[in-house]
Amino acid sequence: MKKKVLSIVLTIMTLTVLLTGCGKTKDKETTDTKTSSNNVTDTPSTDGKDPAQTEEANIDISEPVTLTWFLNGNSVSDDKAVLEKANEYLKEKLNVTLKPIWGTWGNFEDNVVLSISGGDDVDIYFTSSWTQNEYNKYAKDGAWLRLDREDNNLIEKYAPDAWNMLPDILKNSAKVPGSDGEGVYALPGFKDYATQNCWDVNVTLLEKYGYTIDDIRNTDYYGFEEILKKVKEGEGKDFYPLLVEGMVLERMVNNSIMVTGDSQACNMLSYYINPTDVSKEGSYGNKIFGKFETPEYKKFVEKTREYYLAGYIDPQMAIADQANDARTAAQDAGKYLIGTQSYSLGYETQASARRGIEVQMVPCTPAYVDTTASQGAMMAISATSKNPERALMFLNLLNTDPELMTLLNFGIEGTHYEVVNGGEVKFITEARGTYQPWTNGMGNVTILPPQEGQGLNFYDTFKEYYASATAIPINGFVFDQSNVETEMAALANVGGEYALALNTGAIDPATKLPEFIQKLKDNGIDKVVDEASTQLEKFLEEKNK
Amino acid sequence: MKSDTVKFVLAKRKSRMNSIGLPAEVVINIILGLFCLLCVVPFIFVVIISFSAEDSIREIGYSFRPIKWSLEAYKFAFTSNKGIWRSYFNSFFITILGTALSVLICVLYSYPLFRKDFKYRKFFTFFCFFTMLFGGGLVPTYYVSKNILGLNDNYAALIVPALFNPFNIIVMRTFFQSSVPTELIEAAAIDGSGEYNTLFKIIVPIAKPGIATIALLNALAYWNEWYLAMLYIRTEELYPLQYLLMRSQQNIDFLTRNATMLGSEIAKIVNDLPQQNLRMALAVLIVVPIAFAYPFFQRFIISGLTVGSVKG
Repeated sequence: MKKKVLSIVLTIMTLTVLLTGCGKTKDKETTDTKTSSNNVTDTPSTDGKDPAQTEEANIDISEPVTLTWFLNGNSVSDDKAVLEKANEYLKEKLNVTLKPIWGTWGNFEDNVVLSISGGDDVDIYFTSSWTQNEYNKYAKDGAWLRLDREDNNLIEKYAPDAWNMLPDILKNSAKVPGSDGEGVYALPGFKDYATQNCWDVNVTLLEKYGYTIDDIRNTDYYGFEEILKKVKEGEGKDFYPLLVEGMVLERMVNNSIMVTGDSQACNMLSYYINPTDVSKEGSYGNKIFGKFETPEYKKFVEKTREYYLAGYIDPQMAIADQANDARTAAQDAGKYLIGTQSYSLGYETQASARRGIEVQMVPCTPAYVDTTASQGAMMAISATSKNPERALMFLNLLNTDPELMTLLNFGIEGTHYEVVNGGEVKFITEARGTYQPWTNGMGNVTILPPQEGQGLNFYDTFKEYYASATAIPINGFVFDQSNVETEMAALANVGGEYALALNTGAIDPATKLPEFIQKLKDNGIDKVVDEASTQLEKFLEEKNK
Repeated sequence: MKSDTVKFVLAKRKSRMNSIGLPAEVVINIILGLFCLLCVVPFIFVVIISFSAEDSIREIGYSFRPIKWSLEAYKFAFTSNKGIWRSYFNSFFITILGTALSVLICVLYSYPLFRKDFKYRKFFTFFCFFTMLFGGGLVPTYYVSKNILGLNDNYAALIVPALFNPFNIIVMRTFFQSSVPTELIEAAAIDGSGEYNTLFKIIVPIAKPGIATIALLNALAYWNEWYLAMLYIRTEELYPLQYLLMRSQQNIDFLTRNATMLGSEIAKIVNDLPQQNLRMALAVLIVVPIAFAYPFFQRFIISGLTVGSVKG
């Protein structure tokens, strides 16, 4: 009898382990399907509300409202003082009490999906083209409220100022097909919305060896050899002149860009841009390729392998979970000659000050705008929000009122920061450590005061620089993985095994590249590329209509 | 001299019942010793890293013999970050309260299941057992907990969802069956003991080893809990220690995955992360208190091993 009971218990135990083991992925699936089913029912209910709103001529704010605001990328442990002040201000202006949820980089993705599918009482969500609550997908699923319906244009009514301050490129990029027709489903944040990959050059060291920045400018990756060699010989065995972020390096050398919606763990797809005029088609036209099978890629990994064997690249760069730490450490110590950097305006000044060397950037292409950047940080109103009008009014105020934006973003003057040099912000390290939201994740950064060292007219240059950036031909395209999800998961695993190691030269492309490509083929890369190509064709057709 | 010792040991062995041959014993000891090393060495490694200077880690990576030792990580953990003390308190609070409550619930549920004269025994056994096979899924559970039960951003959210553990209940019931003779309950009833009296004065003392085992399992579960915190806790003041550590791990994972998306912001984020020796120091701080729970519960558990066996 006892044995029987024991054996039953043990069987159950193994079963539960098995079931929970398999269950993990299933949970995710249910989450996804739940979202869609949930929102089908949600959308009509908000529709029902809208006409009533239209009839109201004046905006009535007599009723106090609490707004919950879900943000990403913060490091906030003590927000009491700031919120007290912000709420006092908001109470007076909009009769609103703000309740932020300070998501962090690590927990935002899991929590936000649950929060949306669980129907949490959240009014405003951070969304973007690269987070789990992907803007386009959730717009289609009906998680976001459409903001520019013809019969009830919420933006015009409640947030015209914030909208009009945005550059056209961001306005246009925000228009996507969603559950409620094609339109705007979130308010884009005015931040560094262009991408420009640059060689990050340690000029101090470069000049020590008798070169100038022009020597870097006039050559390319394949011509760095002589300089690297000389510096390596001079600095010794433990010095690695080429400080690379493997995946970025590949894009810089080949002028390929990330296709938005591609696997984040390992980009599989490539779109080649035109390195001289990014708004035009590249040499291959508007096509998507499997990244690892092109002749460009082969040439690139062979050269990288050469550099690696010569000791120009730190082997740590090939280990995903050490690379970031090691790279930052080497940068801060100025222990590099040429690095890879995705540029944002003013970065060289910041880097020079931080690293104690002279840093200059040599761009590989003009600044361009792609989907990842143009939908990089947005604020969507949840379809379940009970007070969408007030939420939008809050966003309007936040994005136009420097006082409020500065308070929420930088904290309280005298507590979290002080003003120096007649208008620049200098943070008080200890207090700032407890209140540090993600600046770019909140909204319009151009109304903020510049930070120390940026210069008083920083945001004028900022606007100018980003206004000069042009959109690539496929800006707005997002690859929808849903038809090839299984393949993508398998491919990401394969990619994780090879891609970074190949991109940094840690393994030999002569044997490993063919092996890698074969494995990709076995796991259905062709199907994924076909799917992406079909989607892109359809997208371009729509766009050019 | 050496051979004498061996002979002596051999002679001693022979005199014992159920003993195995010397070579077998040596082999088994070596295997188990190696296994022990495998368990202990990583932890020692963590401790060493936590005492290494950050420069040393940067220079030569993780190493058993760092170039420089330092107490920085612990100093930092204990002075500049109030959050750690708060989280420490939370972890203790949740573990103590949670363990006490869940053990009580476990005993109260499993005892009737063990009593053969309880009419709905079968139903309640199945009722409990069923939840082991089928769960509600993540989203419904989340929805019910948060919106209906109000387990939202409070201590209850960290304690209540883990209070009832069907597996522990079945273990406990089985333990009752194997160690508590039914006659005892009958005898108690004849002597005029009420049900509560019988349970708490007579059954519980006998079942102490089983209860200690369950308590240890629960204490471990509560101490190591971070998932509930991730789901339901939004205020940093309520974070248990494990989640504090988990969060920095999640941030690191995120960076590894999305390094290419964030461009120039990475450097800033990397600098916000706790340094590597601090992460290890946190891990040490987490392990130490719960490691002391083992010896405490151990004496009950060892006696528990003999209670269930045949004793003439």
